Amino acid sequence: MRHNSSRDLVIPGPAGCALMALALLAWCILFLKAEEQIPILVYMISGCLLVLVAALSDLHKSISATIASNEAAWDGCMIGVMLLLMITFRDDHYTLLLLGTIMAYATAVLGLNVQLGFTGVINFSAASFFGIGCYTAAILGTAGWPSLLCLVMGGVMAALVGCLLLAPVLRTSGHYAALVTMAFALLFRVFLEVSDLLGGPQGVAVPPMQMFGVDFSQAMQLWGSECSFYLRYDIALLILLSLSFAFVRRLERSWIGLSMDAVRSDETASACFGINIAKWKIVAFTLGNLLSGLSGALYGMMLAYISPANYAFADSLIFLSILLLGGIGNSWGVILATVFVVVVPEKFQVIQEYRYLLYAALVLFMIIYRPMGLLPRKVRNYGRLA
Amino acid sequence: MSALLSCTDLTMRFGGLTALDKLNLDVAKGDVLGLVGPNGSGKTTFFNVVTGIYRPSAGTVVFDGQDVTSRTAQEIYRLGIARTFQRSRLCLDLTVFDNVMIGNHKNLDMGIVHNLLARGRFRAECKRNLERVKTLLHGLNPALVKRVGQPVSMLSMIDRRRVEVCRALVSDPVLLFLDEPSAGMTHDETKRLMDEILVLSDGGKNFTVVLIEHEMEVIRRVTNRCVVLNFGRKLCEGDYETVTADPFVKEAYLGTELD
Amino acid sequence: MDVILQFCINGLMLGMMYALVAVGFTLFFGVLDVIVFSHGDTVMIGAFAGLSMHWWLELFHPGLAMGWRLLWVLVAAIVAVVVVGVIVARFMIMPLRKAPALNTLLATMMLGTVLRESVRLFFPDGSNPKPFPHLLPDWAWQHGNLTLRFDNVILFLSGALVIVLVYLLINKTRLGMAIRAVAQDEEAAQLMGVNFTMIVLATFALGSAVAAVAGVMNGIYYNEINFGVGLLLGAIGFSASVIGGLGNVYGAIAGGFIFAFLQTLGAVALPFSSAFKDVFAFGVVIIIMALRPTGLIAEPSSQRV
Repeated sequence: MRHNSSRDLVIPGPAGCALMALALLAWCILFLKAEEQIPILVYMISGCLLVLVAALSDLHKSISATIASNEAAWDGCMIGVMLLLMITFRDDHYTLLLLGTIMAYATAVLGLNVQLGFTGVINFSAASFFGIGCYTAAILGTAGWPSLLCLVMGGVMAALVGCLLLAPVLRTSGHYAALVTMAFALLFRVFLEVSDLLGGPQGVAVPPMQMFGVDFSQAMQLWGSECSFYLRYDIALLILLSLSFAFVRRLERSWIGLSMDAVRSDETASACFGINIAKWKIVAFTLGNLLSGLSGALYGMMLAYISPANYAFADSLIFLSILLLGGIGNSWGVILATVFVVVVPEKFQVIQEYRYLLYAALVLFMIIYRPMGLLPRKVRNYGRLA
Repeated sequence: MSALLSCTDLTMRFGGLTALDKLNLDVAKGDVLGLVGPNGSGKTTFFNVVTGIYRPSAGTVVFDGQDVTSRTAQEIYRLGIARTFQRSRLCLDLTVFDNVMIGNHKNLDMGIVHNLLARGRFRAECKRNLERVKTLLHGLNPALVKRVGQPVSMLSMIDRRRVEVCRALVSDPVLLFLDEPSAGMTHDETKRLMDEILVLSDGGKNFTVVLIEHEMEVIRRVTNRCVVLNFGRKLCEGDYETVTADPFVKEAYLGTELD
Repeated sequence: MDVILQFCINGLMLGMMYALVAVGFTLFFGVLDVIVFSHGDTVMIGAFAGLSMHWWLELFHPGLAMGWRLLWVLVAAIVAVVVVGVIVARFMIMPLRKAPALNTLLATMMLGTVLRESVRLFFPDGSNPKPFPHLLPDWAWQHGNLTLRFDNVILFLSGALVIVLVYLLINKTRLGMAIRAVAQDEEAAQLMGVNFTMIVLATFALGSAVAAVAGVMNGIYYNEINFGVGLLLGAIGFSASVIGGLGNVYGAIAGGFIFAFLQTLGAVALPFSSAFKDVFAFGVVIIIMALRPTGLIAEPSSQRV
């Protein structure tokens, strides 16, 4: 049976997950280790070709079937891959910063996914809420607040500022709603630049994370060898991302997620079945901003210095692009797209300069030809019911 | 006998247009009431006003002894009025089960702990609901039971209507509003769907039905009472024979060949 | 007093520019129900096209009189922007008509980024601000602290002239009638024999031409142009058209002046610093949206349940 030939390539069960994770790990290490442009290009193209082959053959079906039926194993494998990557590159500042950036962005986009992907609340200012987290951490940290509290407050402040926008966000719809958050994104960037208290265009320093007597800005020892101080931040970001991911996925697979989906697809029908539209929009908007703020606060501590240039409208558009590229509503898609959007311009110095142009062109292409994104959202799976 | 639903002088104006004009309408428990009238005569507006989508300009709606005139759509659903829509309003990318569960919102536990942390209990609730949805679907079309996990966009028109009916029925409503279930379906399909609904209603024992319908054949077969609307006013009411004897209705619906 | 008057004059100038941009937004929304966010960047393209023409003239016709030079710069800007606008409409906006509104909006934002980045990367030294030629006589009328520059008067009057021309075109010509018909009911208009595609393209040509004028005005007024100016102009034009109620040309013009008024007010009246003027203006826009969710002049809505 020709039909089955490619299916047999994937071993079912947790062993299959582990094997795929290992392959992924090997590829990632090779890719990240490569420094010359030619090998990077070769790995990149070979990776894309593999994905293309899987997508065009039946392979992707058996891969996703294996993953879907061994979800816990797959999740564990992915965390393992990330940890092994961190250990492999433990003394490489550059790569660890790259991994940290991926995880921080992915967490923020997961928040955007709750807002836009589930509930349909348009938010063109995701980067602003991310920035609120960064600046909160900077200000409170400088004032001597404990780091963990700064982190939490980063999320809380983002959520609270978001509440100021609730009235216009709830009352408007469509293009009018788009304007509200867009105006906020523009306003926020200008506000940062002209506020002397926030450091103006130069920005401010963010005090490092200090937890359990450990200063995150100091280099650490691991098995006798010196590691980059970014390693601690990466572990913290991995914990934050894993928790956010689990949270968002459980949210999706619950009656709450269902109500959010109902609000997104048809407000009138939802109202006729007792769903409180305003309530779920508020919950989604606040939760999303909370996630953006939390990841922003941690990321700000990792960067140690932040300036308004990173929280412009264009950055909010990048967050949105990640969501759209990955497949709106799909949490794994968010992760895949974040990796792509963050890593590719960093590794290809040639295109670094052209990255905004390339993203924009790519997203434009996706919207026109594949609006569902790289990994379209699957139907809801409430867990094993049979 | 006191009416289950009783509307007094119900008026709805949109700017200069009067969609409902001092309408008095009662629905008794166990009725299968047919609502007929030409396009724009105010039938759907009547549904929208009673279910709380629009707030009436004047008049009162009393349901089950309570004044529900300016309640929100959410509150009215919780009191036991469920409906379908003229143009299908299913969430096409969600599964059949998801869509039906949206209709069961008032019976679902929306607590954060229950939904996010106590996944075992949540799955048990989910399983109970899945069984119930399967039973309901089985009553309408046994073939649908197997498709309960498929997106609604993959279903045929009549199956989508069935899912919509299930969504309205799953919360055990007291009163069911059906807004032109025949729209987009063939004559036979409509007949089949209506028979299935009537079996589930069991002569008004389970729920009372108000039906908007253009096909007079369906009205004749399933309703025990009809109300004819025109320009937002009640033109006449009574059983099928009485109503069809009315000269206006004859002209509008039955064509001139009966003259 | 003089200071306030001076601010008023500047505010009116800004308002005229914003109004010209907002007219494009609202025209496009009228015929296609889409927001073409890249319109702001189209304005910027117009300014750069004008600048290129100016450079060309300097090289090959150095002795050309100022008036002729201005005319050629305008023609170059209009031609470039109309071509870009029509291509965008035909090959991007029209195919996306049936897509969800958010997708179209995002697509046009991405297109704006593509235009902006293309100018930054491919225009000679495009990432730095460019001095824009002074194409109008620089007489000025001085009274105390008040300066009324003659070129600003000309710019304002030509903006007003463009608006009057747009008004006449929309209300007094067959083309305008067709545009209004399509905006009101596309299917009915098609049934009445209106060539939908042609009308859409004509509308985009019209809106783009107006934007080109705004671009050149912007360059002359500030004496420089910069690849990033389109983003802010786009956001302001979008805000203005939304404040005025989408689809309403007069509302958009009013919205443009309202936005300029807010900025001016922010610059004059804020106690701490005039640097907060944009924060103030966009803040007020957000508040307006909270109070009047469909703009100050509401768009007639029709939803069938």
